[in-house]
Amino acid sequence: MLLFRGTELRKSLSPEEMQRVSEKWMAWFRRLTEQGKAVAGNPLEREGKIVSGKDRIVSDGPFAESKEAIGGYFLLDVATMDEALAIARECPGLPYGIRVEVRPVAGECPMASEARAEAQLATA
Amino acid sequence: MNTQNQNGHMLLFSSNEWYKELSHDEIQKVISQAKAWFDRLNAQGKIKGGQALARKGAIVSGKNGRLVSDGPFAESKEAIGGYLLLDVETLEEAIAIARTNPALAYGTSIEIRPVTDECPLDTWARESALQEQLANA
Repeated sequence: MLLFRGTELRKSLSPEEMQRVSEKWMAWFRRLTEQGKAVAGNPLEREGKIVSGKDRIVSDGPFAESKEAIGGYFLLDVATMDEALAIARECPGLPYGIRVEVRPVAGECPMASEARAEAQLATA
Repeated sequence: MNTQNQNGHMLLFSSNEWYKELSHDEIQKVISQAKAWFDRLNAQGKIKGGQALARKGAIVSGKNGRLVSDGPFAESKEAIGGYLLLDVETLEEAIAIARTNPALAYGTSIEIRPVTDECPLDTWARESALQEQLANA
């Protein structure tokens, strides 16, 4: 999975430049889809909410323009981390400060693997 | 805010590795709670997709992606551990679902974001152009 982080482009780009980057980005996604390498992907709206804590408190977030905020994602169908990294390097947002987080999708919930590992330790 | 959104809503789960602090029995309990939560939503047709992410990865940045660093750090509370794409049209319903997640009690936080079709850059470009027009009017 690729997570695109950084939503500050607006500060440094003119509307025309933004549109150009957007077109490149869409063309990139179309190409990956045609090649069967991207199976899903969407931008996320800037605004959202965060739920946290035992009291399940709802707060505003993430901050609309920040280096960390996630602006969208691609789900890739590639077998190796190297291939995912090679695709991440093509991201048209990189020259403008976007960072691409590349994360292998886990076959099972990490919580479940932890439980299994502990059970193995206990019986060892 | 109660706008309809055909594209659904994304839940992003962040936490540190809190489950490492729990006993085996406690982990099993949370796992079955989480599974029941997921199964119920799935049976209701509320889930379009979702996946757990491995607690490792890389971050690519810089022009042409020259910089590749390890990340996110597993112990970070900000690290995203998984996502769920909900087939629900309002932010309110997505929030209501997020609030019933059993892992919240253990320090997990859930970011809820409307999914969109339009690239945010296009939205910004449109807004900026509008602002310029207004400024020049």
